[in-house]
Order: sequence, then C-alpha cells, then structure tokens
Amino acid sequence: MVLLTFAIPFLTVPLVWTLTNVIHNLAMYLFLHTVKGTPFETPDQGKARLLTHWEQMDNGIQFTSSRKFLTISPIVLYILTSFYTKYDPTHFFINTCSLLSVLLPKLPQFHGVRVFGINKY
Amino acid sequence: MAAGQQWVLVEMVQAFYEAPAYHLILEGILILWIVRLLFFSKTYKPHETYKLTEKEKEDLIEEWQPEPLVPPVSKDHPSLNYDVVTGPPSHKIIINGKECTNFASFNFLGLLDSDRVKDKALASLKKYGVGTCGPRGFYGTFDVHLELESRLAKFMRTEEAIIYSYGFATIASAIPAYSKRGDIIFVDEAACFSIQKGLQASRSFIKYFKHNDMEDLERLLKEQELEDQKNPRKARVTRKFIVVEGLYINTADVCPLPELVRLKYKYKVRIFLEESMSFGVLGEHGKGVTEHFGVNIDDIDLISANMENAVASIGGFCCGRSFVIDHQRLSGQGYCFSASLPPMLAAAAIEALSIMEEDPEIFSVLKRRCSQVHQALQGIPGLKLVGVPFSPALHLQLERSSGCRSSDLQLLRSIVDHCLDRHVALTVARYLEKEERFVPPPSIRVVVTVEQTDEDIQKAVSCIREAASIFLR
Repeated sequence: MVLLTFAIPFLTVPLVWTLTNVIHNLAMYLFLHTVKGTPFETPDQGKARLLTHWEQMDNGIQFTSSRKFLTISPIVLYILTSFYTKYDPTHFFINTCSLLSVLLPKLPQFHGVRVFGINKY
Repeated sequence: MAAGQQWVLVEMVQAFYEAPAYHLILEGILILWIVRLLFFSKTYKPHETYKLTEKEKEDLIEEWQPEPLVPPVSKDHPSLNYDVVTGPPSHKIIINGKECTNFASFNFLGLLDSDRVKDKALASLKKYGVGTCGPRGFYGTFDVHLELESRLAKFMRTEEAIIYSYGFATIASAIPAYSKRGDIIFVDEAACFSIQKGLQASRSFIKYFKHNDMEDLERLLKEQELEDQKNPRKARVTRKFIVVEGLYINTADVCPLPELVRLKYKYKVRIFLEESMSFGVLGEHGKGVTEHFGVNIDDIDLISANMENAVASIGGFCCGRSFVIDHQRLSGQGYCFSASLPPMLAAAAIEALSIMEEDPEIFSVLKRRCSQVHQALQGIPGLKLVGVPFSPALHLQLERSSGCRSSDLQLLRSIVDHCLDRHVALTVARYLEKEERFVPPPSIRVVVTVEQTDEDIQKAVSCIREAASIFLR
C-alpha cells in the first residue's frame, strides 16, 4: 500500500499509513464485533445467535492464542503507523480513536456487553 | 520524486526524537500491554462453574446408585405381546391367524388395496428398483419425486410442495427449520407426538394453550403483545408461530380455523397447520380443513401432512408459498439428511392423488359413514364417544375412570380382545406415557373407512356394546 504513494500523487506516506490503520480497524470491528450469529446451522442449536464472532471464538475462553494474536496485531500496526506519520497530532488522534475502538471490545470485561443497547438483538 | 522526499529514514528517526510525550507514553503502555498478554495472562473461562472439593466429589461418587440398563418390566406388558398381522392391513385383516374386519388401520379411502395403485407401484418397482440409497442432494431425486411435488402443489392449490420420506419426521423437521432459539411458539395442548418432538428440537419458547380454547390463546397473545411493547427491539427479531392440527389425532376434534386466521392477522403470528388426519378426508374435494371451512389457502403459512393415512403411501409433505417451502430444501433436517422416498411409494402416492382427483364422491361417502358410525356408537353404557361426527378416527373413553391408568388400559384391552374374538379388529390408543407432555386419557380408537358396509358397522357396534356390558358393570 505504500506503493500507492508512488502511483497517486496526493497520497502521501503518512496519509497512506493512517488510511491503512483505519481501514484495517474498521474491517476488524465490523467482522469481529458487529456481525452476530452464524451463517450456517451449528450443533449448539442457536446458542450463539446473539454473540459476535469475538465472543464466540474458542467458546468464550479468554486469552487463547488466537485472541492474543488478534489483539496484538492492531497494536503493532498502530506503532508502525505512528512511526510513519512522524507523530503528527491529527494523525495521532485519528489512529488512537481507531485503535481504541478495536481494543476495548476485546477486553474480557466487555464480553457480552452491549453499550447503550446498540446491536443487542 | 515528490512523494519520495517524505520517506527518508533519517528524517523519520529525527521525528521520533521530537515526538510529543503523550504519544510516546501511550506507545509505552501499549508495549507493556503486549508483554502482559504474551507472558502474564492465563486462558480462563468466564462464568466458571462452582468447583467441587475432593471431599465433595468423593461423597457424590459414594451416593450414586447405578440404575439398571434395562428397567424391570412385567411379563404381561402390552409392548411385549404383539398382535401379529399377516397379509395386508386392508378391509379384512388377519390378526394372530384370525380374519377380522378392520376398524383400526387409517386406511380411510380404501386406497391400500386399490388395483390401480398396486399396478402403478409394481411398474415403478420394475423401472426403479426398491430404494433410492441417497438423500435428495446426492442423486436421490428422481422424476417421480418432482412429479409428486408438483401434483401435490397443484392439488392443494399452493405454489410449491416438498416431500419427506418419513411421516413422523415431516412436521418434526419443518418446525425447527423456521423457529429457532429465542422464538415463540403457541401450541395446542392436544398436539401429537411428532409436533412435540419438533418443538423440542427447535429450542424455542413453547406456550401451550388449552385444547381448542381461542380465549386462552388470545390471552397468551395479548400477554406477548404487552411484552413486545416493553421491548420493541427484541420483538422485531422474535418470530412467533401458532401450531395446530386440522383434525386432532388424540381427541378427534377439528381446530377453529377461521378464528385462528383472524387472530393471526390481529397479532401478527404465523400459522403452521398439521393436516395428517384431515388431508384426503375433509372438504368437498379432500383438500383438508381449509376447504372444509372455506378459508383461503394463502392465509395459512405452512401446511404439513403425512401421506401414511388417507393416501396409503409412506412419507409426508409440506406445501405453501415457494418462499416458505424453498427454505426447507436446505434447512429441513429430514429432507437433507435422510434418504429420499422410494420411487415405488412416490408413484403409488401419485396414483392415489389421481384417484382422489377423479372421484370426489368418495369423500361424501366417507363423511356419511363417519356420521353413521358416530350415531351408532352413542349411548354405550360405560363408554363415552369423543370426536366430531365427520372425523374418521373416533375415541371411546371410559365414562368412569378407576384412577389408575394401567387398570383402565387393561379394561379397554379386554374389550378389544372380546371384539377380536368376534372378528372385529379394534385398537387401544397407545402413547409413550413418560415422553408425552399431556397424556390423553386411555381410549379405544375406532376408525371408519369407505370400504366398511352397514353390516360390518352394525356387527362392530353390537360387539362393543356386548363387551362393555360384560366388562364395565
């Protein structure tokens, strides 16, 4: 994606990195923390109908290897992004908001929590 | 290059040294978080169940008494002494070597013995062989299946129909295909066992209303409406169904269908109608309870019936709008995961449908016979007749029960034995008492078919009267 900086003139390196970070976190939030239930029938007879993919992962066991990996990868991306954006305050604000939106739902305290009743049913 | 100018490594490292403090602190916290995740966190399950101590475990193990694998059962339990039938269960049935008039098999239209049906089945047997050896998805779909489905859809005047290979599994697969955990189903108390298994498989909330009591159903629907108003977001994703039978097999009643359709539109619930006993029996052309009441077939969301009663074949079907029935082609467990209906039986069912279409007189003959039998069985001292006059399967229950179900059953069995000795075949209605939700009272089931003559009926009634006067003082 950094090659995009050579292709399209108005995309600078910091912008590209911020866009990558934001789009990655947006997609992760959508697929792991928004979409509920399963697209196919499962042997648990619909117990997971109101659970997001993150809550269903590994049957609700916290801190398994998959969960650790998926928690660490947005953080690594954030560190790289903040390096490449040269710690610019605007970029910092956008990237930090995006990172928080994807890290907070992964905490075990947020298992099954629906803030303001959004996405509850 | 203009873009490349921003990407010089030296400049980047310089920016690192001039970075604002809050940013570096945040990055430090994040790196510490990573270290904690990698090295200092244990996998654990939230909501851990109570852990037992060693002593408690030992106590529980010592207390446990194993139950026998096979519970002790008395030698004269009725399930251990079968009545063996040799030959076809047609109008004259041979039970235990005795030829009797059949008042017990659900052969309402006499199609079991029809020569046309047997010829078609034999031709199909020679063409296709016996079984299909595969479910519908794995080369188990034959042209006879597709023909039967389109014939059934045309007969019932719906858009589409789907065939199952086992009658019990039809409604037991159809209900869990649409109703899942979290949905609400309102069922009549007298629903048959296959409906109960379908409800159990669906994991939905089941609310029973008293048999044929529309006020009770309306009360339950009103309560549900109040709850929906309190939580409209949940109500929007909750599906609600009413499951009723056309003619109930346990009580020989008919459901009040126009009232149900009115409630359906008032409270926005879907109706599933189970027509096993009424398909091929009720209505001017045998189309079931919708024709009997003159209700528009599009008002009913799903009609399910088994072909093992009037149609004298095996299997079952569901019919309704294409939008509804197509869902069962992937979600109907009995459709996707069981072998398909043998083509011999499908051809027999097609021929039976043709006979039903060509000769609608048989339905009025059956209705006349039913009212004749209903009339004749009234007023037997000691037995009360349960059922509507146009139901082909009536129940004779004891007027005064002794309080103990097994002794009631033995009494009824002695009446049935008495009739069997006089060459009239009846049966006691049998249930899995421990598994049924609401076990119906013990009864003798009397079945009316078109093939029975007036003499047969009179003989049967006099046998029952005689037996009742002997055993039920």
